[in-house]
Amino acid sequence: MQAALAQLKEHLARVHDLLAAAAVLEWDQETFMPDGGAQPRAHQIATLRSLGHRFFTSEEVGRLIEDLQPALADLDPDSDEAALIRLAKKEYDVQARVPSALIARMEETERMATQTWQKARQARDFSLFRPELEKVLDLKREYVSYLAEGAANPYDVLLDRYEPGITSAQIEAVFTPLRAELVELVRAIGAAPQVDDSAARRHFPVDAQMAFSRVVAERIGFDFEHGRLDLSAHPFTIQFSAEDVRITTRVRENFLPYSLMSTIHEAGHALYEQGVSPALYRLGLYPEPLNTGASMSIHESQSRFYENVLGRSLAFWEHFFPQAQAAFPGVLDDVDVKDFYRALNRVEPSLIRTEADEVTYGLHIMLRFELEDALINGRMQVKDLPEEWNARMQQYLGIVPPDDSVGVMQDIHWSAGLVGYFPDYLLGSIFSVQLWDQLRQERPAVLDEVRRGEFADILAWLREKIHRHGRKYTLPELSERVTGGPLAWQPYVHYLKTKFGEVYGL
Amino acid sequence: MEKKIAELRERVAKIMDIGGAMALMGWDQEVNMPPGATATRADQMATIGGMLHEMQISPEMGALLEELHSQVDQLDYDSDDAALIRVGWRDYQKAVKVPVPLVMELYSTMPVAREAWRKARSGNAFSQFQPHLEKLIDIELRMAEALGHSGNPYDALLDFFEPGMTYVYIDTVFSGVKPQLVALIKAISEADQVDDSCLHGHFAKEQQLALGRLVAEKLGYSFEHGRLDLSTHPFTSGNSYRDVRITTRVDETFLPSSLMSVIHEAGHAIHSQQGSPTLYRTGLDNYSLSIAESQSRFYENVVGRSLPFWKYFFPQVQALFPSLKGVALPDFYRAINKVQPSLIRVDADEVTYGMHIMLRFELENAMLNGKVAIKDLPEEWKARMEQYLGIVPPNDAQGVLQDIHWSMSPMGYFPTYLLGSMFAAQLWAALLKERPDTPAEVERGEIAPITAWLGETIHAHGGKFTLDEIAERATGGPMESAPYIDYLTAKYRDIYGLA
Repeated sequence: MQAALAQLKEHLARVHDLLAAAAVLEWDQETFMPDGGAQPRAHQIATLRSLGHRFFTSEEVGRLIEDLQPALADLDPDSDEAALIRLAKKEYDVQARVPSALIARMEETERMATQTWQKARQARDFSLFRPELEKVLDLKREYVSYLAEGAANPYDVLLDRYEPGITSAQIEAVFTPLRAELVELVRAIGAAPQVDDSAARRHFPVDAQMAFSRVVAERIGFDFEHGRLDLSAHPFTIQFSAEDVRITTRVRENFLPYSLMSTIHEAGHALYEQGVSPALYRLGLYPEPLNTGASMSIHESQSRFYENVLGRSLAFWEHFFPQAQAAFPGVLDDVDVKDFYRALNRVEPSLIRTEADEVTYGLHIMLRFELEDALINGRMQVKDLPEEWNARMQQYLGIVPPDDSVGVMQDIHWSAGLVGYFPDYLLGSIFSVQLWDQLRQERPAVLDEVRRGEFADILAWLREKIHRHGRKYTLPELSERVTGGPLAWQPYVHYLKTKFGEVYGL
Repeated sequence: MEKKIAELRERVAKIMDIGGAMALMGWDQEVNMPPGATATRADQMATIGGMLHEMQISPEMGALLEELHSQVDQLDYDSDDAALIRVGWRDYQKAVKVPVPLVMELYSTMPVAREAWRKARSGNAFSQFQPHLEKLIDIELRMAEALGHSGNPYDALLDFFEPGMTYVYIDTVFSGVKPQLVALIKAISEADQVDDSCLHGHFAKEQQLALGRLVAEKLGYSFEHGRLDLSTHPFTSGNSYRDVRITTRVDETFLPSSLMSVIHEAGHAIHSQQGSPTLYRTGLDNYSLSIAESQSRFYENVVGRSLPFWKYFFPQVQALFPSLKGVALPDFYRAINKVQPSLIRVDADEVTYGMHIMLRFELENAMLNGKVAIKDLPEEWKARMEQYLGIVPPNDAQGVLQDIHWSMSPMGYFPTYLLGSMFAAQLWAALLKERPDTPAEVERGEIAPITAWLGETIHAHGGKFTLDEIAERATGGPMESAPYIDYLTAKYRDIYGLA
């Protein structure tokens, strides 16, 4: 077994490095690449990724994975080796069962659909986008057909790609009761006196914002010796190994949280990647290696933990606000930390998901989840999508988009083939609160640590419980291990009600 | 044959994609990579470098090239396809001798050595770089053995940078020009010295970079397909002809340091940007280093240190830096051409530059032939500096550690700078013969005709031809050193009022 394992690792190291190289090129494209370099860059990334795919799906790798399966019986299921053998088989089977011609057709269609989506969004004309989206979804259904064996709902196959071990039934069991609570809370907040967030809407120069973002990121634990922070059109985190994890942000000079909270969010993702155990390094499964975050929602639980649970807490700003005042001389002198805290937590039903506050955010996600499920199961036609969208916006948030560019066409996801991805944003938020409750239970003084600007022990706890494991465990497994129970919506509702009840004096 | 050529092109395209990725990752390491990422970057470079090599020497590739090469005479020698086969076969025959693990070892050692060089240089401690250099030389010697050579391992490495080049050839060329350079340096040292105090002072970084951008663009460098950044050592990195980046470093107390580096690197970059689009992904968009250096040295010196060039640009420089307002153009021109033995190669004037190269050429040869122990390198360096230029570096950062090259590529790069400088002068003579109005055009700020001429004569061909073939096509004869000596003698006789 040791020989086969060593051989497999050698193959996977190659896959890992090829994908890491592709990631360096992708990062560069979003940050520094001159505009004229796009076409060759597309060739280079495609070549690296297709080589990675080819090496991972080679017969040799398949044979080694099969040869190693019997060894699972003798291995500690928690060992790195067992996780590798288990996950390698799962990924290999997916790659082997879906014809590569279909993958190629999907990629081509999604690339076209994304271009059309951009144009249709600009023209505010859903009818332009509709035929392309129909093609994307048809191919998704075809893709599902190769993997649907044993699935209660074909949509589960897509969910499993981003969130292994989670089904639509489980998500519904969480979302349904949560929806009623959120709608109620949004209504109650709407009826209370509104929060004034003008303190966050003053003039904050770009350089000072970047400098302050660096200070905050470093303080919460982001390691600039093994990472960097740059500007890009959309904030993102990317890693080439735990030793090189890069984040980006974007800046609006007249709205401080726009950049700052994005930086904290991305730093949360990055802390996770920087904390994966070195023992998992170079275990390159396709399309994601073992030495990366466990899943979409676990990743989101880390970014939202830092962005919202810590970053939008009063304790956090009791530490950082004087530094913010110093970072922007004269701008925040007349502002009280409590008012700043309230400004950061203003709740208001709005049209755009990515700009939504903590309370309304979940409703944006539920809406998308319901529509995806209905589309994949054929209960809804693409042509009816705008109407269905608007009806739900009215029902959940009491507002209706004036046109589809700020409604059904606001997100890139569906055009890019990311179907089954949205629910994970909310699952991550929910889990982040469960983690926070667990942490406070284990370390009751943690809030005082935050007030003193001490984040090292919090990070150490997350490293121990979550980060070091990389992709070894699923969300249900991690939830069980860390909190002693399954994913639960009640703590999340309790957190929101307590926090916003106080902010809005409910 | 057409079908086979199509297959070859497809294979080479993938190889070149990987080469482009490696170039970008090298740029990233110099410009952006966090310092803690060196080890994992070394893994990545080794993997994809090894894979590139594996694809280059695959049996399928060998069979394909061999078959096509047997029919290559049916094609026009100057056609892209003929060059693809000719150059591909030449490179394949070399590459196939080098085992994949050795290539991977080289690629995994270089990023770490580069980081060690950087630290050693900033800490002024050669001993920190020494073990890395020893390791690299050991790898390079094993590569030379694998490649085969007739007595001198240096020849096997030189061939990478300039196909067909040997130690003896270069030594003969250098030995020919050395006494003339020494005599010129001596004559200049005995003449009245040039005052270059106007170049020393305070020149703000932002303005220096703005000037660099302005000049680079005027020369023909496209920022739509490139960018200018800062790095420890100036360099050019081509990810493809559509994305060619240059870097510089800024000394706020000395104006020419960054500016002339930018012009040098822009020369390289224009060379790549003007490559024929038909050569994209064929590997023929890579050219030999002597040809490369002829272009950078052409822009930097022949154009960038000429009086017509400064007639046009000096008013713009004065506008950016008020301290130059009272300086007369002829004085500025003389200042940027001041000849003075100095420590740093990239800042050296045109006349002493050759001595810096010969010193490195001799040391590379000595190291590879075991005539100098690596630990003695700093002392050997100092002794030669004393002998050739009459000055001794006070520390290794300004001596043996000044250049990045030994940490990032095999030995054999340095001589191409001098060969390139020589060829640049030869090209200039040919250009003047064809277009006698060129200096007048430059005075008016019209540099586009020069860039167009170089584009047609040199750049478009990429790596289709060897140095001598290019020289033949551009100047009507092989590469030679006489025009270089003529150029230097005439120029500096005038500046220093020599007899």
